[in-house]
Amino acid sequence: MKAFFVGRHRRNSELVLIILSGVVTTGAYVLAAVGRLSSIPANVLPFLIVVLGLFFAAHVATRFLAPEADGLLLPLAGLLNGLGYVFIARLNDELAAQQAVWTFLGVGLYCLTLLIVRRSHDLEQFRYILLLFGLLLLVLPLLPVIGQTINGSRIWVRVGPVNFQPGEFAKLALAIFFASYLVDKRELFRAATWRVGPLRLPEPKHVAPVVLAWGVSLLVMISQKDLGTSLLFFMLFLLMLWVATERLAYLLTGMVLFMVGAYVAWTQFGHVQIRVDAWLKPWEDPLGSGYQVIEAQFGLASGGITGTGPGRGYPQRVPAAETDFIFATIGEELGLLGATAVLMAFVLMIGSGLRAALGARRPFSKLLATGLTGLLGVQAFIIIAGVTRVLPLTGVTLPFVSYGGSSLLANYAILAIIVRISDEQTDRPVDAPTPGRRRPKAAAGAR
Amino acid sequence: MNRQIRQLGVAMLVLFALLFARLNWVQVFDAEQLTADPLNTRRVVRDFGQRRGNIFTADGVVIAESIDVEGRFDRERRYPEGPLFSHVTGYFSFEFGATGVERSYNDELAGHSATQRFESFFDFFGDGDISADVTLTIDSELQRVAANALGERRGSVVALDPRTGAVLAFYSWPTFDPNAISNTDLEAARAAKDALDKAPGEPLLTSAHRQVFPPGSTFKVVTASSGLENGVVTPSDPVFPDVVSYQLPLTEVSLQNFGGSVCGGNLAQSLARSCNTTFAKLGAEYLGPGPMIATAERFGFNDAPPFDIPLIADSRFPDDFGIQLGQSNQTPSAPIVEGSSLLAQASIGQFDVRATPLQMALVAAGIANDGDIMKPHVVDRVSDAADGALLAQIDVELWRQAVVPSVANTTAAMMVGVVESGTATSLARGNLTVGAKTGTAEVNTFSGAEDTHAWVIAFAGLREGEPELALAVIVEAVPGQGQQTGGAVAAPIAAALIDAHFG
Repeated sequence: MKAFFVGRHRRNSELVLIILSGVVTTGAYVLAAVGRLSSIPANVLPFLIVVLGLFFAAHVATRFLAPEADGLLLPLAGLLNGLGYVFIARLNDELAAQQAVWTFLGVGLYCLTLLIVRRSHDLEQFRYILLLFGLLLLVLPLLPVIGQTINGSRIWVRVGPVNFQPGEFAKLALAIFFASYLVDKRELFRAATWRVGPLRLPEPKHVAPVVLAWGVSLLVMISQKDLGTSLLFFMLFLLMLWVATERLAYLLTGMVLFMVGAYVAWTQFGHVQIRVDAWLKPWEDPLGSGYQVIEAQFGLASGGITGTGPGRGYPQRVPAAETDFIFATIGEELGLLGATAVLMAFVLMIGSGLRAALGARRPFSKLLATGLTGLLGVQAFIIIAGVTRVLPLTGVTLPFVSYGGSSLLANYAILAIIVRISDEQTDRPVDAPTPGRRRPKAAAGAR
Repeated sequence: MNRQIRQLGVAMLVLFALLFARLNWVQVFDAEQLTADPLNTRRVVRDFGQRRGNIFTADGVVIAESIDVEGRFDRERRYPEGPLFSHVTGYFSFEFGATGVERSYNDELAGHSATQRFESFFDFFGDGDISADVTLTIDSELQRVAANALGERRGSVVALDPRTGAVLAFYSWPTFDPNAISNTDLEAARAAKDALDKAPGEPLLTSAHRQVFPPGSTFKVVTASSGLENGVVTPSDPVFPDVVSYQLPLTEVSLQNFGGSVCGGNLAQSLARSCNTTFAKLGAEYLGPGPMIATAERFGFNDAPPFDIPLIADSRFPDDFGIQLGQSNQTPSAPIVEGSSLLAQASIGQFDVRATPLQMALVAAGIANDGDIMKPHVVDRVSDAADGALLAQIDVELWRQAVVPSVANTTAAMMVGVVESGTATSLARGNLTVGAKTGTAEVNTFSGAEDTHAWVIAFAGLREGEPELALAVIVEAVPGQGQQTGGAVAAPIAAALIDAHFG
């Protein structure tokens, strides 16, 4: 009974938050139309009804399929998705229409995932199938006929009229594999009985499949010239290895390896050098490689604290304003306040995801939730860092916000799995305080 | 694993805090610099495409408006009156930026001033038009009269209300058609700008406020005021000798009266006849450098008046005449310095004295307004383009007090004498009080060339009223054309303006 109340309480606040995010989205939509066309769009009411209806459906699905799940995740995804849609619509009507379809499909996939994956550890048994599936997805774009090169990256597959990036789904498949395999073998990884000079490493035969999976995915990524996704895979692998083994040495070694790898890539590959130059000294080629980043900085600067107002800026001057640079669009038109709200939404989403991980009882679920949350967080960080010139630009989408069907679908599937894991804490864990219940101090460090 | 998960949470928090810090840097602290970056055309494109208010003359004539066009930009700036007001409105070009009022009131015209932004904040459901109209103080009829009277002669006409500083006419020739440079066909705009840059007389460089000329005898008004202010002369005492020339102090060089004539008498008579000998002597031997520099600077020399058309030039009066060598033998006596011969020439508006036509109009305005020079301005008010609500009214403000009222009124009376019985009798009007001073300024005192700038400064008011019009006219020297006197060449233009204003 207690659990039921907790769940109902969470579901009700989820509903309130969904309504709130729907209203915010609609408000932004109206402002953008007024700013751009100086008129209130005729379809405000239908728009509000559709936005609310869509996420209300997801809410109902959650209420039935994952009644005790965290109540923040879905409204946050809805808010980010809604804001993203408003700015895509403000930039390009045609893409907005497609994004609307993808949003429908994404929410559908969210419900479907909740329906199919009733227990997160069911996924464990498919680990090798998923590994195979993930690797297959990764090499798909390299195949002739269906493989497509768009903007210099061969990461697209064309089936009929639809283009999609299989790599987006490979992330999910490989995260499940890593979680399952690492949990299984983590004692062996921790044992580290193999001495190589001063280093003590795990036995090669245990490490082999992981290194293989990681190496292949990385190689594929590099051959496809998709720096962002390869960085993402590497970080995902590293994070999960560290959390699973609880050995910081893995993380540090990985970081050092990454530095070395990055340096080698910088000296060897022209397209990496261009990215680094565009980051460190964009002003040396302001109309060429530095153009996108410089225009993004100009856009952010013109937004200032409160922004130019939706529809009143010039975000279309930044190439890829609807996709990788959507954050620059938001920063320009909603200003520091709006951009910070987006940052906060991601921080809250990461917080909820990690809380689900802390509360998960099975190590597999714990590791999977950590990996998937880390994936969302790292992806958001590296693209925002690229747009704001904190890091070199690596083209990945801003989860839930950017235009992109594959990305949106994959992220809703990821969200559904995190929601599923957060739902599996019937016996309230020590780390997730619930109303009316104090956290026992002594157990705070328990795994 | 929970410990690592918490550490991961903290790490993510740190990373996002880093992004937040960076955003603050880009959007707040570094924003101004990024916005000012020459590569940043965002603001120009925005201003260019957006609605932009009209510019009206005081009598309601549209002299700048935006029309809808097809192409890269949504709107194009049009100037229905062509070249007539171009030196006031300036142009509004995508590649060459804006000049004139288009530049100084860019924020208001485009709707970016603080007030407009604040109002638009509460105006979500308006039609999004927050641009403002700018109404000038310029009178279109007076401007037209000035243009017709000057014709195709290089020169400038500046007329203003001495009581308020409101500029009523502001015209220079050569002028240009701002439509050509504001063209959204950038190729055509570039060609037009190129042609204007190469055109003789620099049409884009407004001579009324951006170029300086030796003011010649019109400057004697300043010298006379300095003499009165410092108590070394009165209009009737002393009586300066009737002479042909004046030997410059410490030199063998003589300064001639105009046309080699015999000239002299008291201050009032000397001003009416424009005796070089009197004013050279007054400056060099009665006043000396200190008082002359002080009075000139109080009239606005060695400075530029605050003005709402950008890029105004400083008018100059030399401020260093060297060390003192002795004392003049006049009563009262003034120091004789190394540069006393130059001071003598400066006192009649030659040597290194340079003034914009606007500055000389302000000299006349100051004398006409009890010694107070009001801030000159061409913009009267800013009003909402949509509903006409007044957003800003330009205040009438004192720029500086040139001389005390009694001195101003005495000088004014002597300038009336110039019209009644001196070099500017053509300006006499039965129903008006008109004061004036002509000038015939040598382009280069020592070259021997006879080309001269023809000047007149004047004020006019109804017989029983205060002066309500002050003006300066210059018709520039034309190389090889010889002498043109202020009385014969410039005064008729002033007469046309006075007749138009009071007609």
